[in-house]
Amino acid sequence: MSVFTLPQAAKEEVLLKELSALTEHHRENCEPYARILAASGYQPASSVAGLPWLPVRLFKNLELKSIPDDEVYKVLTSSGTTGAEVSKIYLDKAAAAEQTRKLGATVQSVLGPKRLPMILVDTKAMLKDRKSFSARGAGVLGMSNFGRNHVWALDNEGHVDVEALKGFLEQYGDEPFLIFGFTYLVWLHLYEVARDNGLDLSNGILIHSGGWKKLIDQAVSPEEFRARLSGVGLTKVHNYYGMIEQIGTIFLEGPTGGSLYCPDFADVVIRDPETWEEQPVGKPGLIEVISTLPTSYPGHVLLTEDQGVVHGVDDGDWPGKRFSVLGRLPRAEARGCSDTYREAA
Amino acid sequence: MIQYRFGVEGDLTAPSDDRLTVGDPRVIDFLGKLARKLLAPAVARRHPELGSLGFFLRPAELHRAVEHMQHDNALVFPRGNVFHIPPANVDTIFVYSWALSALAGNHNVVRISERSATAAETILTALNEVLADADPVIARTQRMITYGRDDKVTAALSQWADLRVIWGGDSAVEAIRKHPLRPSARDLTFPDRTSWAALSADGWRAADPAQRRAAVLGFTNDSYWFDQAACSSPRTVFLVGDDTNDVREEFVTLLLETVGQRGWEIDAAMAVEKRVNAYGMAATGAISAMEFPANSVTAMSLITVPDAPRRWIGAGAFPFAQVSSLLELVPAMNRQDQTFSHFGFSHEQLREFALALGGRGVDRIVPFGSALTFGSLWDGYDLPREFTRLTTLVE
Repeated sequence: MSVFTLPQAAKEEVLLKELSALTEHHRENCEPYARILAASGYQPASSVAGLPWLPVRLFKNLELKSIPDDEVYKVLTSSGTTGAEVSKIYLDKAAAAEQTRKLGATVQSVLGPKRLPMILVDTKAMLKDRKSFSARGAGVLGMSNFGRNHVWALDNEGHVDVEALKGFLEQYGDEPFLIFGFTYLVWLHLYEVARDNGLDLSNGILIHSGGWKKLIDQAVSPEEFRARLSGVGLTKVHNYYGMIEQIGTIFLEGPTGGSLYCPDFADVVIRDPETWEEQPVGKPGLIEVISTLPTSYPGHVLLTEDQGVVHGVDDGDWPGKRFSVLGRLPRAEARGCSDTYREAA
Repeated sequence: MIQYRFGVEGDLTAPSDDRLTVGDPRVIDFLGKLARKLLAPAVARRHPELGSLGFFLRPAELHRAVEHMQHDNALVFPRGNVFHIPPANVDTIFVYSWALSALAGNHNVVRISERSATAAETILTALNEVLADADPVIARTQRMITYGRDDKVTAALSQWADLRVIWGGDSAVEAIRKHPLRPSARDLTFPDRTSWAALSADGWRAADPAQRRAAVLGFTNDSYWFDQAACSSPRTVFLVGDDTNDVREEFVTLLLETVGQRGWEIDAAMAVEKRVNAYGMAATGAISAMEFPANSVTAMSLITVPDAPRRWIGAGAFPFAQVSSLLELVPAMNRQDQTFSHFGFSHEQLREFALALGGRGVDRIVPFGSALTFGSLWDGYDLPREFTRLTTLVE
């Protein structure tokens, strides 16, 4: 069972229809969105790349939802790096259920249908930290649903709990098990500890996410990350890319590594930051993420502030586009005379 | 930690026996030499904005400013100790502010931002080069320093100052004002400002192609120099007249051309910033249309004049609104509004507009191309007067 099945042409045919309908749906039910479309001279799209996109940061500035207040079931918030700017994502019951279901189907594409014993490369204490909870905690909690018999790799002080890991591996290490964590935590706390303590992770399936910035700072490339993990027996490794503004949709690394793939209900368009047209394969640009999941808010076509590149189409582990995330666009700053004195004593 | 960038190191607030006069020849000599350095072709090529600063500091200009400091009915003296806190990112402001104060004979301490850019470094190098041959009194009375978040230094300098000059917007003014001044001292503040442009449709149509191009070139410099974020950079463009669509269309076309020729570059991050702001304004119903003909220019149609944004919305982002006359804008102007750049209006129209404003908003009404030209009359202040004090003598 996989959600990575549709070749690009077939996928675009389905997506264009569904997303055009979703665009209409949001236009009718979200007045600010309707105003944006009107002001930009929106015409129905004839291709996926022609669908009208919103800058993802709009969800930090505006309340955008396509459901009445009394149908709001859950409001998700992301903490931005500045703290003051928080995305607000409004889900009704149906959208909340659907995003959980689709996320499950996506990870089951690599885990199989059964819940596996699970190592969480994080600390339970983090769930209590209100400041970091929303982003990191939501990720961990969301993913923990896909495992059972969880063990936390880090204790409350953030130190590696080697005994807990050893106990887990003794009990479950002979069968497939799931490992989840943020990329830099996996690198800092799991890889090194497994190497130094001779832990056998060869039955593990690692799903990891989070920016590469902290690792690049330590001169660890994605390729080296994979190679080194394979050195401790961990060969089933899947990075993923996703964001709270398209909750439930993740772009998952294929079994052979090096590329992220789009599930059948999602896609990416890499845009030239000068012309805003779609870039050809191999040319980097800004990543636009597309998903049919956002039905309760107009987040179905979003321009991110991440840069990426499509490596190929229908030529990898799974059908469709395969791509990489290259890093974040720096935030624009003004040179002006006001608002520039943030260091004021 | 205080880093000394200019002048004698050591206790900044110690009493001094040095006395400068208003228009002190040693200061004029120093500033004149500085002007020559800044006007040197190699410097002007790298930092064209230093050229206008050099022009401002020429001896003839300095003598004019000194003359302006004189008073018919009083003796004029330096105000005393002046503490300058210029903005981080407009590199040249600190020199204008400091030079006028030095010319008035004050003892100055200028806090240079840690985030100051390369033009500021160039100026500091020039200042120190000139200092080598200058009268030593300059180094003893004029000091420029950089320090990080250090409330103690700010507090001590605030107690030392007779006048504290705070640039850098509302947040800077509020932060610095937490440090009390002596009862006799006061602040000269430069809070957040908004600036506008107005284009007379009749004036535009009457202008020949060369005049239109020159107007757009001036407007481009006003807008793009500091990423449209200087307090005097125009943001919204008011089209004054009837059926102004043709004027706007030609204006935007020329703007795109000019920006391209001048080589102003708008990067992807700025383009996204502008989209975020434009989409946000569309979402809230402030604009009815937005166009993105290139990353360099974003054009928007405002629905009503009061919706014209007062915050920065990116470099090369222009809301347009049509009004039938300048007088229609008067109710929308307020104390925050600083510079009003204009093209195509008659002297009478502008004067009528200024009188109708009655000082309740807008400090400068200047032609396209002059918005950023610093003058000793700024933000409604007569700076040379602010930097001096008066003694009445009745016999």
